[in-house]
Order: sequence, then structure tokens, then C-alpha cells
Amino acid sequence: MIDILVFFIGASLLLYVLLGGSDYGAGILELLPAGPLREKQKHVINEAMGPVWEANHMWLILIVVILFIAFPEIFTTLMVALHLPMLALLVGIVVRGTAFTFRHYDAIQEPRSQRVYTLLFGLSSLWTSFWLGIIVASLNRGIIDPAASTFWDAYIAPWWGLYPLAVGLFVACIFVFLASIYLISETDDTTLQRRFTRHAAAANGMVILSGGLVFAASFLEGESLPSVFFRTPATLAVMALATLLFGVLWMFVRKRNPLFTRIVAGGQVTLILLGWWLLYAPDALVTAQGPLGFYEGAAPPATLRQLVIALLVGSLFIFPSLFFLLRVFKSR
Amino acid sequence: MDDLIAARSTMAFSLGFHIIFAAIGMTMPLFMSAAHYLFLKKKDPACLELTKMWLKGVAIFFAVGAVSGTVLSFELGLLWPGFMKHAGPIIGMPFSWEGTAFFLEAIAIGLFLYGWKRMHPWVHWATGLVVGLSGFASGIFVVAANGWMNAPGGFDWIDGAAHNVDPVKAMFNRAWLHETIHMQLAALQAVGFAVAGIHAFLYLRGRAQSLNLKAIKIALVFGASAAIVQPFAGHFAGQRVAELQPAKLAALEGHFKTGPRAPLYIGGIPDPDTQTMKGGIPLPGMLSFIAFNDINAEVTGLDKFPREDWPHVVIVHLAFQIMVAIGSVMSLAGLLFFVFWKRHHFPRWYLRLLVVFIPLGMIAIEAGWIVTEVGRQPWIIYGIMRTRDAVTPVPGMVYHFYLFLVLYLVLWCVTGWLFHRQIQAVQNKFEDAP
Ligand code: HDD
Ligand code: HEM
Ligand code: HEM
Repeated sequence: MIDILVFFIGASLLLYVLLGGSDYGAGILELLPAGPLREKQKHVINEAMGPVWEANHMWLILIVVILFIAFPEIFTTLMVALHLPMLALLVGIVVRGTAFTFRHYDAIQEPRSQRVYTLLFGLSSLWTSFWLGIIVASLNRGIIDPAASTFWDAYIAPWWGLYPLAVGLFVACIFVFLASIYLISETDDTTLQRRFTRHAAAANGMVILSGGLVFAASFLEGESLPSVFFRTPATLAVMALATLLFGVLWMFVRKRNPLFTRIVAGGQVTLILLGWWLLYAPDALVTAQGPLGFYEGAAPPATLRQLVIALLVGSLFIFPSLFFLLRVFKSR
Repeated sequence: MDDLIAARSTMAFSLGFHIIFAAIGMTMPLFMSAAHYLFLKKKDPACLELTKMWLKGVAIFFAVGAVSGTVLSFELGLLWPGFMKHAGPIIGMPFSWEGTAFFLEAIAIGLFLYGWKRMHPWVHWATGLVVGLSGFASGIFVVAANGWMNAPGGFDWIDGAAHNVDPVKAMFNRAWLHETIHMQLAALQAVGFAVAGIHAFLYLRGRAQSLNLKAIKIALVFGASAAIVQPFAGHFAGQRVAELQPAKLAALEGHFKTGPRAPLYIGGIPDPDTQTMKGGIPLPGMLSFIAFNDINAEVTGLDKFPREDWPHVVIVHLAFQIMVAIGSVMSLAGLLFFVFWKRHHFPRWYLRLLVVFIPLGMIAIEAGWIVTEVGRQPWIIYGIMRTRDAVTPVPGMVYHFYLFLVLYLVLWCVTGWLFHRQIQAVQNKFEDAP
């Protein structure tokens, strides 16, 4: 039972990063100066993201719901120790979702209000992906301490520091990378295609750079990432493969093969997540008192069974309809 | 403001905000599907016009409902970790089905909003219907979770922890039926009247009269029917509360002293210090009758409970009076709708009345939730866990509260402004072509 649930959490996280991530990345892209291409780019992003954004962000809710039903211990520990970054994340989610919708559905489309919506959409996309990274980085540092006595130790220290900052940056870069790759084939306009390709290349570089930064920061702060990393051959192999795939990716980009470009880029991000997973599994969380895994403190079996049934039955409905959604909008 | 009050206020404010969008999000798609159906069946272009008009409203309100709902699912943990640690696994079942329903809804809304001309018209229509139905289902699931907080069941509470958890029994707790029936009717009625009122306003302004009349009819077929049934559903809810939560019932009615032939007060303000009602018209024996169908039945008063277990009597009583008053006038207005519909004529005063009624249903929903949730205090799980034992240890919750207060107030203003522009655009459109 628990394995199935952990699988669902992992799969939701992956889908959230891939689908929701390109959604965030598109927002960040709109922050960059685009000159005369601005309107066209906005249109492409509206068309590409509009039908799917509601569904994209459901993956996050699914993770939260599974956590609080099946792993209440992990859920409550996180929500207490990471109260502030969670709050920041929520503010970002609220502003982002509403700005995107308002921009599209404002009955009177005038340049001034449109500019404000776009700016808010872009800034909150950057803001939210950044905090998402910080939260992920805080999970395994071993600083979360339910027994801490000072405000700083209990609520700030768990997410403070260079390392979470670097992970935040890394996540934002990955999202921009995903979005640019995704958007290349969402438009027929060659100048726009070239623009997205250029962004993808830049983001590609940034991903590698900020990935290095993550290691450097972790090393500087005396955290375990580098040592654990080099002691885990599986992760090492996975990460090496992810990096090598960049070569393959650019071959497909040059050949203008949108399907394979997307598959390879998605595969790379999947590998990065997998590497991270292999490093820490099966611990969901490392606190100052030690690791907190999925297998300790899970909900009673009756609850787990019901949840698995709901998820499996749900998948029976959700995946076909999601597939239908994608087919209707992507078969142009 | 201490941390507990701040957390409670944050929760109250977030839920009070979400419920308005949730109510609209689960009922407007049904109205929209009805209009869309009429268009596809009768090829009436006015109905297509209406569908597209309502669709924009649905899209805006849906998005705000979705983000405020996301906030809520985090807030359960951010504000009430002590509660979720125990309650999460027990009431997980309605939440997991709710999640499934939302997911379908989110997919369907993407298909419906962007799928014009990309699908067979009837398939497209069906996606719109799925939005409405899954929204409606998800509403039922969350309210069932709330029912469990009011009438906990499906577990044994031993030494501060839950044992022998039975999620199915927890979901179908003893409060789920009356709460879900009453809430779903409330959403239909509040949104039905609000939509009808807006179209009555446009009608009275002389804009596109036949279109607006159609809109009023579609919205009120749902809204008026719900409004007529609602007092009965409310009465049923009252009887269940009398049985399950006698302290809440006593607070609702400002009933301090246990005794037979309990009176029902119309109006009045309860004074907890002197334990009397100030003002108000007593109807002897009516409370006994409403609660137990017998004018001589004994009704437990607040005197049977220690003072620390009382909910806030004044707030609960006032909110209850507001809800019942609105419920009564709206059911009359609902009856009148069917009378005028039969006669094929809506007098102008009735349409003006509809305009006045625009906010009433929503006010009743807020009041009803205040009755239920403030009336549950000081318990977060009725009779099992106190709210103060569930609150987060994080200090400085006031700032959390202010942050969301400002964020939501701004959102309110922007949504209101957008909606105003939407109506303006509709008005301008019909300016030249009456
Ligand atoms: C349009 C909205 C609306 C209207 C007109 C009414 N109600 Fe209501 N009421 C609600 C909307 C609502 C609600 C928001 O939906 C609540 C909150 C929780 C619930 O289950 O329903 C509620 C709760 C609620 C409760 C508490 C249930 C509980 O705590 O479990 C009672 C006793 C009543 N109502 C009784 C009535 C009566 C006697 C009405 C007479 C006409 C009435 N309501 C009209
Ligand atoms: C959307 C309609 C709802 C509204 C307007 C509403 C309103 C409120 C209010 C006013 C409070 C504060 C009570 C007080 O502290 O005095 C509250 C508390 C709370 N509500 Fe609700 N409620 C709604 C539905 C729900 C549902 C469906 C659930 C859960 C499944 C829920 C769970 C809670 C919790 C956990 C608290 C905090 C603990 C407490 O104060 O007892 N509410 N709500
Ligand atoms: C009476 C109480 C509630 C009702 C009737 C209700 C209903 C709804 C509905 C219909 C939506 C869909 C969005 C829309 O159509 O506008 C929605 C969104 C949402 N609600 Fe609530 N809700 C209630 C309370 C809660 C509570 C207590 C939670 C906390 C767990 C919650 C979580 C959510 C989430 C996560 C979403 C976003 C789903 C999406 O993206 O579509 N709701 N709610």
C-alpha cells in the first residue's frame, strides 16, 4: 500500500515539475524583454497554457492531499517548520493563477491593465518557483527541528542559507528550460521559434551553472550533499546521463523534431528528479532528530486502502480525460 | 489578537472567501449547461449568447476558487497541525474523492473553455456538464468532511489518539446528510438568485430584454426550486443539531434554561451574563416543536454545559436569525417566480425585488457557516479535541492573518472590478442593437 502511495507522490511530483514547471517557466520568460515580439509571445503562451493550467496545478494539490491523509506526521512537521516558505509559496500561487486568468478574461483589453497582469504573472512565476526550490532543499538538510526552542531555530534556520537559495535558482532555471523547449513547437512563427530556441540554449547553460552552484553552496555550508552524492553510484550515473543527453537534445532541436526534443528534455528532468530521489529514498524528510520515512508514522491500513482505491479509480477517469484534453489541443 | 484568535480568523476569512467562489463554481456551470442545451436543441442564438456570457464569469470565478482552495488545503496544516495529525487519516476518504472530482473538473473546464469548434457540439456540451457535476460532487465531499468535525465517528479515541479507524464510517458520519443537502441547495439558491438579479437589472435598463428574460428563467428554475425546498432542509438540519450538538442548538436559539415547552424567539439579542434574551418575540413551545416535533418536549439549555464549553452565543444567534430571515423571504420569492412564470408575465416590481436580492443568498451562506462553525466552538472535533489544542505552535499568526486579509481584499476588489467590466461590456454590446 505505502509503495503505491509513494509512487503516486513521486509521479505527481514529476508531472508537476514537467507540466506545472513549463507553466512557471513560461511566466518567467514573459519577464524578459521581447520588444516587438511581446504580443505574439503572449498570445502563444495563452494558447499553449490556457487549456491545461488548471489541470497542471492539480498535481500539487494531489501531493498535499496524499501527504495529509496517509503521512500526517510528515505533513504536519513540514507545515510547522516551513510555515514561512509555504506562506510565500501560497501568495505566489494566488497571484499567479489570478493574474493569468484575469489577463485572458478581462472584458476590456487595454494595454495598461494588460501590462500589469503580465508583470504580476511573470514576477509571481519567478517567485513561486524559487520558493518551491527552497522548500525542496529544506527537506533533507537535517535542520528541521520540532524540539527547537527559539524562533530562529524552529522557523527560519530550516530553510535559510546559501544552499536553499541555490536550489531555488536551479529550479527556476529548469522551469525556464522546460518552457522554452515546450514553446518552440507551439508556434509557426520562425522569429518566435528562434527566440525560444535561444532561450532554451541560455537556460540550458544556466541549468548546468546553477547545478554547479548547488554543489558549491552545499560544500561551503558543510552539508552532506557532495559526500553523499559521490558515494551513491546510481545517482552519479543518472546525473551523468542527464548531462550527456544535452547533446542528443540539441541534435533533435536542430533537426526540428518537436516530439523527440520534448521527450529528451522531459527525460533529463526526470533523471534529475530520480537522482535526487535515489540520494534520499526512502526518507521523506531528515530532521535534526533523524530521518522521517514514509514507512514510520503512516496512517492506519484501512485509510491507506481507501486512499489507494480512490487514487486508482480516480486514475481510471483522470488519465483518459487528460489524454483527451491533450489530444484535442495538441493535434493541430 | 492572540495566536489562536488570529488562526481562527484566518481560517474563517479564507473559508468565507472560498465558499463564495466555490458556490459559483459549482452551480454556474450547471446553468451554463442548461443554456447550452437549449441552444443545441432549439438553435436559439440567444441561448448561445448566454452560454458565452456565463462562461466568462465561470472562468474568472473558477480560477479564484481554485487558487483559494489550494490555499485552504495548505492552511489545514499551516494553521491546525494538531488537528490534521489525527484527523487527516480519518477524514481522508472524502478529501481523496474530492481531489479526484476536482481533477476531473479542472480537465473538463480546460476542454470546455477552449474547446469550441474542436469537438463535436454534444461532446463539447458534455464537458461543460462534467464541470458542473464534478464541482457539485466535490462540494458534497468537503462538506461531508466538515460533518465529521461536527459529528465525529468511525474511530475510537483512546488516550489522545485515534484507534480502529474506519474511513467509510467517518465519511458517512451522522451530520453529512443534512449538511450536504442544505449546502448544495444553498449554493443553487444563492447563485440562482444572484444571476437572475443581475439579468433583471439589465432588463430594467432596457437592454436585450428577451435575452435577459431567458436568463432569469433559466437561473431561477434552479434557484427558486432550491429556495422553496430550503426551509424544510433547514428544519431537518435543526433537528439533527438538536440531537447531535445540543449546546449548539441552545446557542442558536439563545436558549439558556433547560425546560419543556421551550419558546422560539424572533429577533432579540441573548445576554450570556444574565442568561436572558433581550427583546425578541417569544413563540411558546415552538422551539420544542421544531427540535423534536412536540411542543412539550424538553430542550436542553446552555445551563447544562460548563461555561467554558459554550460557543459565542451572540454571534451564533444573530447569524442564525439572519439566515432564517433570508431563507423565509427567498422561499416566498421563489414561489412567486413560479406563479409569474405560469402567467407569462413578470411585473416590474418583482424584477426590482430580484435586483435587491442579489447579495441575500450569499449573505445567508456566510451566516449559515458561521452558525455551523462558530457554533461548534470550543471544539475542533466536537467533544473530542479543543480548537486551542490543535492550533499551530508558530508565533506571530497575526501577521499571517493580515497578509491574507490584504491579499484577499485586493482580490475581492479586482474580481469585482473585472466583473463590473464584464457587465459593462455586455451593456455596450447591446447598446446599438436593442
Ligand atoms: C442560501 C443559504 C441558506 C439559507 C436560505 C438557509 N440556510 Fe441554513 N445553512 C446554510 C445556508 C442556508 C449553509 C451555509 O449551507 C449551512 C452551513 C453548514 C451547512 O451544512 O449548511 C447552514 C447551516 C444551518 C444549520 C446548522 C447545521 C449544522 O450545524 O450542522 C441549521 C440548523 C440551519 N442551517 C437551519 C436553517 C433554517 C431553519 C433555514 C430556514 C429557512 C435555513 N437554514 C436557511
Ligand atoms: C466553505 C464554507 C465554510 C465556511 C464559511 C466556514 C467558516 C468557518 C469559520 C467562521 C471558522 C472559525 C470558527 C471560529 O473559530 O470561531 C471556521 C473554522 C474551521 N473550519 Fe470551517 N467553514 C466552512 C467549511 C469548512 C469545511 C468544509 C471544513 C473541513 C473540512 C472546515 C474546517 C474548519 C476548520 C479545521 C476550522 C478551524 C478550527 C475551528 O475554528 O474550529 N470548514 N470555519
Ligand atoms: C463548503 C466548503 C467547500 C466547498 C463547497 C468547496 C467547493 C469547491 C469547488 C466547487 C471548487 C472548484 C473551483 C471552482 O469551481 O471555483 C473548489 C476548489 C478547491 N477547493 Fe474547495 N470547497 C470547500 C471547502 C474547501 C476546503 C475546506 C478545502 C480544503 C481542503 C478545499 C479545497 C479546494 C481546492 C484544493 C480547490 C482547487 C481545485 C481546483 O483547482 O479545481 N475546499 N472548492
